[in-house]
Amino acid sequence: MSTLNIPGDGASETVARITESFRVPSQSRQRRFLIAALTVPAAQLLAAGFQPAHAAEAATVSGPDNLLLLLSAAMVLLMTPGLAFFYGGFVQGRNVLNTMAMSFVMMGLATLVWASFGFSLAFADGGAAQAVVGNPFRYALLENLPEVWGGLAVPGVSFALFQGMFAIITPALISGALVERISFRFWCLFTPIWLLLVYSPLAHMVWGGGLLGKDLDFAGGTVVHISSGVTALVLAGLIGARRQWPQSLRPPHDVTQILLGTGLLWFGWFGFNGGSQLAVGGAEIPFTTTHVAAAAGLVAWSLVETWRDGKPTAVGMATGAVAGLVGITPAAGFVTIGSAMAIGAITAVLCYVSVQLKVKLRFDDSLDTYAVHGVGGTAGALLTGVFASAELIAAHPAGQVLAEQGRAALVVGQLQAVLVAYGLAAGGTFLIAGVLRGCGVRFRVPESAENLGVDVAEHGEEAYAERVGSPQRF
Amino acid sequence: MQLFAADTALHSANNGFVLISAALVLMMTPALALFYAGFVRSRNVLNTMVMSFAAMGLVSVLWVLFGYSLAFSPGSGPLAPFIGGLQWAGLSNWSAPYGDGQLSHGAVAFFQLTFAIITPALISGAVVERMNFRAWLAFVALWSTFVYLPLAHMVWGPGGFLGPEGLGALDFAGGLVVEMASGVGAAVTAAVVGRRRSYPQHNSPPHNVPFILLGAGLLWFGWFGFNGGSGLVSGNLASLACLTTNTAGAAAALGWMVIETVQRGKPTAVGVATGAVAGLVAITPAAGFVSPLGALVIGFAAAVICNWALQLKNRSGLDDSLDVLPVHGVAGFLGILFTGLLALKSVNPAGADGWLAGNLAQFVIQLKAAGFTLLWVGVGTFVILTLLKTLMPLRASDADERQGLDINAHGEEAYNTEFTV
Repeated sequence: MSTLNIPGDGASETVARITESFRVPSQSRQRRFLIAALTVPAAQLLAAGFQPAHAAEAATVSGPDNLLLLLSAAMVLLMTPGLAFFYGGFVQGRNVLNTMAMSFVMMGLATLVWASFGFSLAFADGGAAQAVVGNPFRYALLENLPEVWGGLAVPGVSFALFQGMFAIITPALISGALVERISFRFWCLFTPIWLLLVYSPLAHMVWGGGLLGKDLDFAGGTVVHISSGVTALVLAGLIGARRQWPQSLRPPHDVTQILLGTGLLWFGWFGFNGGSQLAVGGAEIPFTTTHVAAAAGLVAWSLVETWRDGKPTAVGMATGAVAGLVGITPAAGFVTIGSAMAIGAITAVLCYVSVQLKVKLRFDDSLDTYAVHGVGGTAGALLTGVFASAELIAAHPAGQVLAEQGRAALVVGQLQAVLVAYGLAAGGTFLIAGVLRGCGVRFRVPESAENLGVDVAEHGEEAYAERVGSPQRF
Repeated sequence: MQLFAADTALHSANNGFVLISAALVLMMTPALALFYAGFVRSRNVLNTMVMSFAAMGLVSVLWVLFGYSLAFSPGSGPLAPFIGGLQWAGLSNWSAPYGDGQLSHGAVAFFQLTFAIITPALISGAVVERMNFRAWLAFVALWSTFVYLPLAHMVWGPGGFLGPEGLGALDFAGGLVVEMASGVGAAVTAAVVGRRRSYPQHNSPPHNVPFILLGAGLLWFGWFGFNGGSGLVSGNLASLACLTTNTAGAAAALGWMVIETVQRGKPTAVGVATGAVAGLVAITPAAGFVSPLGALVIGFAAAVICNWALQLKNRSGLDDSLDVLPVHGVAGFLGILFTGLLALKSVNPAGADGWLAGNLAQFVIQLKAAGFTLLWVGVGTFVILTLLKTLMPLRASDADERQGLDINAHGEEAYNTEFTV
């Protein structure tokens, strides 16, 4: 626990270390020469890779910026348990652990996928494939990260950690459409492949210098919400409705858990959007827009409910706030506070309509993942084009579009990005699900397990073992 | 105050970082209360939570009066390597610059306080559902003063016997001071206080598993302050510590799940939560000394070994009710050893190379430090409990234990209608 600094470990030192590790003392001269002949160019090639592209700028780490990013990373991590509670409250008591475990397991699985190849796929330079993906080996296992990430004043490690938290919550969001019936094994096989095949390329296209670089997506409207929403829609269609749905609609087993989850999500969203500024300077804009949009979403949803049903519900306030937060995500740093209010309210109303429509269409998107994240993400992406402030997006490539071609072109550009995301998420999901089905992986739990409750069937444990009716009750 | 003006920006960033980290770590104690509360029966849930919450009150008071001073001020005479002096009693030096002047003593004292709070709170997991609450309060006060404060001084204090100026043991964020100390303390306390009346014939399932998951989630969040803040700077070292922390927690959660799937066919939610905590514990001493890859190794090793230790404990008959010894003690010990194995000077020049980098000596130092901690905490805890036993009963009465501690120790119930007991 002392005050320390990380060394300025340059590329030359790395080359020396690599050459060292290849040295074989007792071998024939010829073989040694051969190894050397192969090693030196390889090491040079690697060394060139280690050299950050922006080395010439000689940027330094800013303490406050790094503090913002690390704190934001921790806050975004907390959103996944928050989501587990948000979702867990909605399901029946006999399925709550499975619902929460689908989110919690992502904190393990997605972290490892991200650390191994995901981050590199999303944020490394891709060479010939730059438009679509990055080089998966350049930062594999989070090695060789630059001391200072390009264009920012934070260490590469902080940037990778912060982005990794988004890769955790995005697949976790999908689970909401599939609860109470999906096989846990299928879930644990599907999500890692999805992260590499859908999430990382999409993140690369939008944030890693790929073909959607002109898309205005501040903190993940396209990358996080549209991708998870569309995937949830496709998977829910493939897997089918719960057996008892919609004949016997069960109310949420614990609404207080939903409210707790919403509170944690709202708190964490400050890190999600505010941290996406990636610097302390200017972070006040996304922090404030995030908060105002959530408030507008909450109020709008409650008003619509009061108008339609006569009473605002606690569940409605929670869902409305989340809808507002989803809507502001792509816009957070690009709009004024007043626009944020409008975005939050409009998104919440559209999400409300989608939830009603989902019930009318008898489509079992169980916890409204598409209705809130898919629709909310889409609305947010388009509304970002509508409301983006010329001043705030001046530094973004889209600023040029607005200046030269007008707002209509900006909105059309947003629409194009939305369509690419829809195509990639839907296509990738069909592909992965098809391959897994071909390998004989069952998507659903057996009927008996669904009736008994997936907690006991899939995990061999119960959430509330003392409650009346529990087989374990004594 | 002159020193502050020299580098205001850096100072405010570091000071802010440490203060926020402290707030995160403080939140780990309520998180721990929830984590533990989910495991017990609903008639004991409030008592279980209050054992942690009481530590927030009690230890904070001791800390201001003399705790910070005894642990972190330079001592005098032959006892200097073991305990600090009383010159900072009352935290009168809160505004003075700490170390090289990038932080104030106030920030460091608050940050270190949150560690001193959670350590005795961790011990409570070993004695839930049966300990006399009054005896618990007395135990926390005595244990913090006579076991924790000297240990913190020895490892982190100026001139400490185990720290960089002494033996040279590497303990980034509390593998010895927090995790091993609480694990060993818990085992001794559980042995002295004795088993629950119903254990092991009547194994009661957790009354509310979502509480356990909420606790685990909040603990994971707080651990970024615990490990990330322990470098006391908002620089690259903090980034590394946060990254290794997350990686080890993730690897252990996943590893535990795989082990459960292999052993009993199904991964449990309780297992994912327990595995994550074991991994986070194991990375604690190593967080700022190993590479992310090293963290991966530590996480997986923690899952395998803690799972094994937990099963061993279940067979031993020791009623360490909520597995403090296997999850904190063993994982902390493991983390200390792996730090001696995997530490790299190229990762952190203020650290040392480990055995794998050719420095066997560091591994031996880690082993010695762990052995000393085991003895110090084991003997200290035993002596405190033996003395305390002569003053008051350590256990609640049989009738109270049967009926539940909530109603008897606190006169209130957690759930008035929904649950049946």
